[in-house]
Amino acid sequence: MTDERQTEWDAVKESMQHAQPVELGRHVGYWFAKTPRRALYATSYAKFAAKMIGRGKRVLDIGCGEGLGTWLLAKECGEAQGVDFDAEAIAVAEANWGGEPNCGFTCGDAFELGDGSYDAVVNFDVIEHVYPEHADAFLDGMQRLLSDRGVVVIGTPNETAKQYASAVTNAGHVNLYTAERLEAALRERFKYVFLFGANDEVVHTGFAPMCHYLLVVACGER
Amino acid sequence: MVEERSEQARWDGVKDMLGDHRVTLGGHWSFNLRNDPKRLAFVLARYKLAAKLACKGRSVLELGCSEGIGTPILGEFATRYTGVDFDEDAIAVARRNWSDARFEFVAADLLRERIGRFETVISLDVIEHIEPEREATFFDAIVDHLTPEGMAVIGTPNVTSVPYASPQSQIGHVNMFSAERLQQRLEERFEFVFPFGLNDEVVHTGYAPMCHYLVQVACGPKGVSGD
Repeated sequence: MTDERQTEWDAVKESMQHAQPVELGRHVGYWFAKTPRRALYATSYAKFAAKMIGRGKRVLDIGCGEGLGTWLLAKECGEAQGVDFDAEAIAVAEANWGGEPNCGFTCGDAFELGDGSYDAVVNFDVIEHVYPEHADAFLDGMQRLLSDRGVVVIGTPNETAKQYASAVTNAGHVNLYTAERLEAALRERFKYVFLFGANDEVVHTGFAPMCHYLLVVACGER
Repeated sequence: MVEERSEQARWDGVKDMLGDHRVTLGGHWSFNLRNDPKRLAFVLARYKLAAKLACKGRSVLELGCSEGIGTPILGEFATRYTGVDFDEDAIAVARRNWSDARFEFVAADLLRERIGRFETVISLDVIEHIEPEREATFFDAIVDHLTPEGMAVIGTPNVTSVPYASPQSQIGHVNMFSAERLQQRLEERFEFVFPFGLNDEVVHTGYAPMCHYLVQVACGPKGVSGD
């Protein structure tokens, strides 16, 4: 190595050195330790949602966990608020991204946030954890948080993939959806429903029963 | 020998099950398949995207259907399909090749006349051929053919791909759009617009200036009343 190249790299390093270190909490840390590709998939779904929502928007991320996706949405869409009932996860989110002016977090029940002013409400890997008897209230709650010109994005594993899921995953999943059921639930509430599927990080519109993950975009409140 | 013959017999049985749906393509698609066969994949991918996102259980109008190469995919999802083009020869080919009670082909210029209202209007590879001063007429034609809960799917090559286009394309393409400009035009007339990009047959939501082709899905047409 020549001294010159070393000096160039030092300049690059210097420019990056002052970034505040990002901490991975128990949840995202578990991904990286045990199922590292999950970090890729989750980021890909958040990016997809961000692109569907567009720029200059105010987004609410329900069940934001450690807020990595919330921060992506804030960065891409303009402003994002994350909410989760897991205080430990919110503390991690707050420590990492709470200092950003366009990104904030709340620990508690999303439906107590109350106002119908968000341009978009998203949630990933949440609705499959909501007991079926509460699912309608969950969707109604999302709709109330949304402005009448708002967009909803929901991501959840396909019911057809259940047979391949780990014991840890299956333990938490009390309300898995097929594409038909997810689409029908949203059609009751929205005029326009767009169904996507994902296999790993690739989002597409292929044959629904073979999609590992479902992503639905809905707009135009009824 | 016996085994060979039995495999042949099995295959003949399979062939019988296929029926006879032979098709002679028209001039446009025969030319494309001879000169650049991979283009079929690119074009059908756009139709599949439109079909999956905007045609299921809906009445569909295709503005600029040419020989109807996308009709079978759209028709698989649509309740009924009307293909319109001002090229009468292309419409004749479409009628000959894709006969189905739910399909209809009309030779007409929809920038000049209206033929009804549909739940979805699809228009791929049309707007780049419309002179900028007639552009508003094109968007008006789309909205005027929609029901109040209508959707539109508009596809066009990205302006950033112009330097790589063939000489024929460059001559025909008189009104190239960036993703941003297409979205602006659609947002003037629709409540919601969802932008996608394609590179070859792959549909994605990547960085817009590097998408070879643009497809935008618009819904909630403004000013359409339910009379």
